[in-house]
Amino acid sequence: MQTETEIQSGGGQPVRCLLGMLGTDVHSKGIRTIAQLLRDAGIEVIYLGEHNSVKGMASAAVDEDADLVGLSFSSAAYVTYTRQLVEEMKRIGAQDIPIMLGGIIHPDDHAELREMGVRGIFGAGSTTEEIVEFVRSMGRSQ
Amino acid sequence: MTDQSENIFGNLEELEVKLSRTKSWGGIETENSYGPADTSDADYAEKLGDPGTFPFTRGAYPKMYRSRMWTLRNIVGYGAPEDTRDGLEKVLASGGTGINIVVDPLTTQSIDPDHPSFGPEVGLEGCSLPTANDIDRLLDGVDLSKIDTAWHWAAMAYPMVAAVHVKRGQPLETLQGSSMPDMLQETLSGWGERLVPTVLGHKTTVDEIEYSVQNSPRWALGMPQAYDLRERGLTPAGEIALGMAFINKTLEDLVERGLHVDQIAPSLAWVSTSDIDFFEEVAKFRALRRFWATTMKDRFGAQDVRSMRLRVACHTSGKSLVYKQPLNNLTRTAIEGFAALCGGVQSLEVCTFDEPVGVPTHEARDLAIRQQQILANEVGAARVADPLGGSWYVEALTDAVETEAKAMLDQIEKIGLLKAISDGTIEQMMDDHNLKIQRELDDGERIVVGGNRFMPEEEPAPQRFTFDRTNTENHIRRFIALKGSRDQDRWRDALRTVHSVAKSGGNPIGPMIDAFVADASVGEVWGSIRVAHGLSYDPYDTLEAPLDYAD
Amino acid sequence: MGELADSILAGDRRAAGRLISQAERRDPQAVEDLGILYRHGGHARTIGITGPPGAGKSTVADALITRFRKLGQTVAIIAVDPSSPISSGAVLGDRVRMMRHCDDEGVLVRSMATRGALGGLSAATGDAITVFDAMGFDIIIIETVGVGQSETDIVGHSEAVILLQTALGGDGVQAIKAGVLEIADLIVVNKKSTSGSDKMARFLRESLHDRPMRADGWDVPVLLTEASEDIGIDKLTDTLVQRFYHNSTQDRVSVTRRRQVAAHLTALADVEVRSLTKRLVAGDATPEAWQAVLERRSDPWTLSAQLFEKLR
Repeated sequence: MQTETEIQSGGGQPVRCLLGMLGTDVHSKGIRTIAQLLRDAGIEVIYLGEHNSVKGMASAAVDEDADLVGLSFSSAAYVTYTRQLVEEMKRIGAQDIPIMLGGIIHPDDHAELREMGVRGIFGAGSTTEEIVEFVRSMGRSQ
Repeated sequence: MTDQSENIFGNLEELEVKLSRTKSWGGIETENSYGPADTSDADYAEKLGDPGTFPFTRGAYPKMYRSRMWTLRNIVGYGAPEDTRDGLEKVLASGGTGINIVVDPLTTQSIDPDHPSFGPEVGLEGCSLPTANDIDRLLDGVDLSKIDTAWHWAAMAYPMVAAVHVKRGQPLETLQGSSMPDMLQETLSGWGERLVPTVLGHKTTVDEIEYSVQNSPRWALGMPQAYDLRERGLTPAGEIALGMAFINKTLEDLVERGLHVDQIAPSLAWVSTSDIDFFEEVAKFRALRRFWATTMKDRFGAQDVRSMRLRVACHTSGKSLVYKQPLNNLTRTAIEGFAALCGGVQSLEVCTFDEPVGVPTHEARDLAIRQQQILANEVGAARVADPLGGSWYVEALTDAVETEAKAMLDQIEKIGLLKAISDGTIEQMMDDHNLKIQRELDDGERIVVGGNRFMPEEEPAPQRFTFDRTNTENHIRRFIALKGSRDQDRWRDALRTVHSVAKSGGNPIGPMIDAFVADASVGEVWGSIRVAHGLSYDPYDTLEAPLDYAD
Repeated sequence: MGELADSILAGDRRAAGRLISQAERRDPQAVEDLGILYRHGGHARTIGITGPPGAGKSTVADALITRFRKLGQTVAIIAVDPSSPISSGAVLGDRVRMMRHCDDEGVLVRSMATRGALGGLSAATGDAITVFDAMGFDIIIIETVGVGQSETDIVGHSEAVILLQTALGGDGVQAIKAGVLEIADLIVVNKKSTSGSDKMARFLRESLHDRPMRADGWDVPVLLTEASEDIGIDKLTDTLVQRFYHNSTQDRVSVTRRRQVAAHLTALADVEVRSLTKRLVAGDATPEAWQAVLERRSDPWTLSAQLFEKLR
């Protein structure tokens, strides 16, 4: 059985993508713009905004049944915070929910982030299309 | 790849550089060319005036940089006070003429460095300065009544620096320097209602301006802090509109408290940006001065010429810089800096080319200072006041920016500034602006070299600034030790006074200075203000207040 | 089958999230689990919050969470935002205002998009309530989209509907014109420091006064709050508790229950009927009867009667 939305969007289920920031970072311009662009690409964005705690973000991913978690960073503390989030997700049994990063991510850190299990890294120069395509690919098949 | 494109000459037509856009960067449509029909000489006196005369469109001073060169600034701040001190000494050694300090995000948000959630961020993107002692350490031997220190820091900078001055046995009226007390800007640029509710932020700004103009008349106030508003998402016209909305509301409230505009306006300086569209930014600076002068005179009845003559502090646009092929940013900042000087600013900071990468390297800092020296000494940027005045195009663009700004200001003031901020109207406006720009970039209607077109081939990862965290770790330990060793009774009484004055609706800035003198920390002082306004002590809802506020 | 329900009854929030997603996409697998959970529910008190954009729905919800948590109650929130009719995507942003509770395990927020539903809620709202009720949440707060005036679905899903108004922009007059006042069990004028709030409250009280007494005997109160500063929330909570108490008398329990079940059924039926109709229109299934209408050998009335015959 199909709902109206399925018919509108050609049969696919909207991907549920959590977007938010950790720490004291206030540079939310990018994440706010990408939230709107993802909406326009048919994604359901659960927008958490700035200043989330690691614990709060992990539990939101669970409660919201997110298909993936997107983090934006303009602060250089991203490696530490991402590691904390990965560990917290593991602790609550949500390690299978993929994580993607955006913002200012230095190429020297890519390997370490991938090793932690970060699935998508969209630093400077990433296009909207690349991000949308990645988010879509994270939707679970039913 | 097709066979055709393998031969680079086969596609010569496509390789040709074509005009990608006829609108200005801020979205103003332009004509093929401009001529005498686009301006009228008749209103020279009314709309332009000579440099240094009302309405100051052509500059704040008659001789501009011949009488006084701009202050050549370079912003510094990382790690512990000792680290930033080291950075400051390097800037002064390269020929910087001002001390400009940026504090880390924790200090900016009045969060102490021992907060359990944010350890990795202490000192990371600015200097950690949680107590007056730390500022004293940073500025050891710097006489605050003689040397001008500029703080990229909102409401807490003035009371903390004032406390250092008092601790050193100096009277407040001799304090020099500048800070940016604009808190509405912080609410809009990502702090949100959670960190600073609109109403509390605005009251704090008004309190601080009231106190500082009455007690430290030589202290300058960077208000509005329109730089961050532009970075968040506004056109040049939007910068004038929203900045003036801040100024109007702030002045109205101060007048209601019994001050006259001429007691306040001369202490204010507009903190602006200079983005990549050279002509539009020049036009903005000119339109801005005119807007300010007429507002002060007509709306607030200013008599003093210093109230009507706006001073502008400019930092070139950070968001205009591109991460890829970062040396291109030297081209960008040179043009942005040149625009600021042609627009007649009083102080200039040029971004380092590696700003998109992170905290600037010492080499990048050095080049930023050299760039300004080239502008000053080789290019002739400082030679003549208002060098573009009378250009048909620039005059038409000045008028266009002004007209757009007026319309937007009317729209904001019709809703009411504080309401438009707290109900999300302004934020929505900025989001819409950013979304429009992103769509233009995605569609190729707006081209940024290395951003969405003309991407460089594989390049090595940009160099990152790193510093030893040992000083920072010691600094956190020192902070915790201070909390144990200070005079506890004096400390508690001082914070209780801050709380009770704030709670009764009075101006708490004086008691805040006393609390900093009593070694209270930035988190404790701001936490006490928050509690007085019915908010949680810790904006991040982790810490409890370290004292009872006896009512 | 039934595994998710077992996990959910054991307090597994991940399973709860998954089941609600299944229900949102009308996955037939969800039915059995929901059925099991339904049999475990019936204890939660439900509060609906509706009102125009900018009235402060999320802020009031946030203030109520704080208050109920202080009273030792656990709280689940269903926050609904609109899906884009063009892309079917959505930005669900209500959590931001409830952030201070993000570390509190006694609070669960689920954001939902309308996905084409028109009454101000998601079609799966009743399903989500079923899940949270079975998990043992004491209070369930449902926040409507808040864009139009036809957001009446909330009535069926909650035993206390709070209609938020402010003195800004003549909301009150609009509400009366649109007949939205009828759905409210409590009317709250939020942002009371805005000038005109007292006048607005008086105006609303007078409009209510002119109406006949409600069948359930409940006297709709008009309260004033400034939710962002936690002002007036005590009184609001007390009034909600009174409302629950009022509903708790025997005959009214059944009225409320009946209303809720009817709403849940209507929502489910609505989806079924819409989906069936859509499929017909999309041409996936083209029975002879549909062809006949297309070729004007039959007519829409006859087809409708044939399709829904069994339901009569």
